[in-house]
Amino acid sequence: MVTNKKDKEKMPSGVAVAGRAKKLLNLFSYQAVGTLLVFLALILVFIFFTPHHLFVDPRNIKALAKLTPDLGIVALGVGMLMISGEFDLSVSTVLPFSSYIFVLLLRAGINPVFSLFMAMGVGALLGLLNGLITVKGHIPSFIATLGTMMFWRGVLYVHSRMWPIGIRAYFPAGSSFEHVLIGEIGGVVPAQVIWFVVFALILGVVLHFHKFGNWVYATGDNKEAARAMGINTDRVKTICFMIVGTLSGFVGVMQLLRLGSFAATQGLGFELKAIAASVVGGTSLMGGIGSIAGIFWGALTIQILENGLILMRVPVFGISAFIGLAVILFVVLNTYMRRRMMMMR
Amino acid sequence: MSSFSTDGKSEKSLVKMVSIEKWFGKVHALEGIDFEVRCSEVVGLVGDNGAGKSTLIKVLSGYHLADKGEIYFEGKKVNIASSLHARKLGIETVYQEQALAPNLSISRNIFMGREPVRSLGFMDKKSMDRESMKALQSIGLHLRSPDALITMLSGGERQGVAIARALHFKAKLVILDEPTIALSVREARQVLEFIKQLKREGISVIFITHNLYHVFPSADRFVVLTRGEKIADIQKKDTSIDDLFELIVKPPSHN
Repeated sequence: MVTNKKDKEKMPSGVAVAGRAKKLLNLFSYQAVGTLLVFLALILVFIFFTPHHLFVDPRNIKALAKLTPDLGIVALGVGMLMISGEFDLSVSTVLPFSSYIFVLLLRAGINPVFSLFMAMGVGALLGLLNGLITVKGHIPSFIATLGTMMFWRGVLYVHSRMWPIGIRAYFPAGSSFEHVLIGEIGGVVPAQVIWFVVFALILGVVLHFHKFGNWVYATGDNKEAARAMGINTDRVKTICFMIVGTLSGFVGVMQLLRLGSFAATQGLGFELKAIAASVVGGTSLMGGIGSIAGIFWGALTIQILENGLILMRVPVFGISAFIGLAVILFVVLNTYMRRRMMMMR
Repeated sequence: MSSFSTDGKSEKSLVKMVSIEKWFGKVHALEGIDFEVRCSEVVGLVGDNGAGKSTLIKVLSGYHLADKGEIYFEGKKVNIASSLHARKLGIETVYQEQALAPNLSISRNIFMGREPVRSLGFMDKKSMDRESMKALQSIGLHLRSPDALITMLSGGERQGVAIARALHFKAKLVILDEPTIALSVREARQVLEFIKQLKREGISVIFITHNLYHVFPSADRFVVLTRGEKIADIQKKDTSIDDLFELIVKPPSHN
C-alpha cells in the first residue's frame, strides 16, 4: 500500500506507455473479460459444429450483421440505464410506437429525415415520462416501465389495429435516406453495423470519459453519496431513460426500413433480451458496475448464441432454454472473475 | 447575541450556533443549544444515543433547518439552507457509509460531482489522479494508485479518502460522524492520525462519537449533550475520561 514518492515523480516513459496500453485494455475488458472469452469460444464451437460450417457462410454473417444491431443499440441504452440503477421494460413498446409514428408521418407526406427525428423525439418523450414516473413517484422503474410498456402497447394496438403498413407506397426504394440507415458500405458491410459501432463509441466516450458518465456510475453505485456530493441523481436517471427511448426510436425506424413494413409486434421480447445482453456483458443488476464494451460483447453473444443454435437445428422452443442457461452461467462466471480480481489486488 | 462580532475573544471563532431549537412533531430534539467551534480546534461532541448530536450536526450541515436560533460563520450570520450551501461555506460532513461509491476508483470518488473538466465536460483524468494522490498524501495516507476501487480499501483508508476529499475542496470545518465506528483498533488509530493532520493544516474538526477513548486524545474541548440539552462544555485540561463518562450517563438536571 505504500508508494515511494520519488518513484512516482520519475516514472520512466516505458512504464507510462505500458500504463496507457493497460488502460486501453481496461477500457475494452473492464468487467467483461469472461464475456469476451466465452464469446470467442462460442464462435469456435459454432464454426466447427454447425452443419457445413454454415455459421461462417458469408450469407449467414451478413444476416447476423444486419440483425444484431437492432438488439445491440437498444441494449447499449438499457445497459447504461442499468448502471445508473434503473430498468426499462418499455423498450419493446417504444420501439414499434416510434416506428408507427414514422410511418404515419411518412404517409402524411412528411420528409423522411424529419420523420426519423420525430420518431426519435417521441422515443425520448416516452423515456422522459418513464423517468419522471420513476423518480417523482418514487417507485421502482421495473414496475413503472412495466406499466408504460403495457399502456403504450395497448394504445398502439388499438390505434394501428395491428395492421401491417408497407412503406414502399410512400417511400421510393434506393433513396439516399435508406442507404444511410440500412445500405451496405462497399456492398459488404451493412450500415446497421456502422450505426451500432458509432452509438457504442459515443456512449462509451460519454460513460467513461465525460463527467456525466461519472455521475451515472455514482448514482447507480451509491445514490446517497452522489446526492450528498451535489449530483442531481433524479436528473441523471431521467436523462438515461431518455437516451434509451431515443435509441429505441432510432432502431424502430431502422428495423422498419429493413422489414419494409410496419408491424405492431416489432421488437417484441427486446426488453428482457436487452437486460440479458447487459448482464451477460458484466452489468450489475444493482447498478454502479458495467461498461459499454461489455454490453457490446453481451449483445453480440446473445445474438450469436441464438443464431448458432438455429443453425445447429435446435428446435425453436429449445433455444430459449439455452439462452436462459447461458445468462445464468455468464453471471456466475462474471461474479467469480470479479471476486478473483478483488482477491488478487 | 448580535454582540458576537465585537466580543473580542482571544481565539477566532469559526462557527457559532446560538440558542438552536429543533422540533420533530412533538419531540423537542434540540432545546436551545449554544455551540461554538474555533479555528483549528478539534471539538469532541459526545453523548448517548438520542442525545441530539446528529440533529445538531445536520442543522449545521444544511440537512435540517433549525426552528429557532442563529448560526454565525466566520462572524457573519448565515442561513444554511442546503448541504450544497454548507459546502460552499467550507463545511464538509463525512458520514460513515454514505460518503463513497464502493465500485468507483479513488480519484472518481474524490471528484464525484465536482470533476475537473478540459472541454465539453470531458474529465481531466490526469489532474484528477494527480490531485487525488496529493490530497491523500497531505493527510499522511499513501495508497498505491488513484485507480484502485474503494471496495478494495480498508475501513480506515476509506475514511481517509473521504477526509482527503474534504481537504482538497478547502473545507474550513470537517464534521466526522462516528468515524471510528466498525473499525479495527489499528484502523481507528489511523483515522485519529488523520484528525491530527487536519488540525495541523489549520482545519477545525467536530468529532462525533460514543467512544471516549478515541475522542479524548484527539479533541481540545468536549461538548456533552443529553436529551437535546448541552450539559457540559469543557476544556480537556479541566476534565478526564471518567468525568466525561459520568456526565454522559447522568440524567439532565433542571435547576
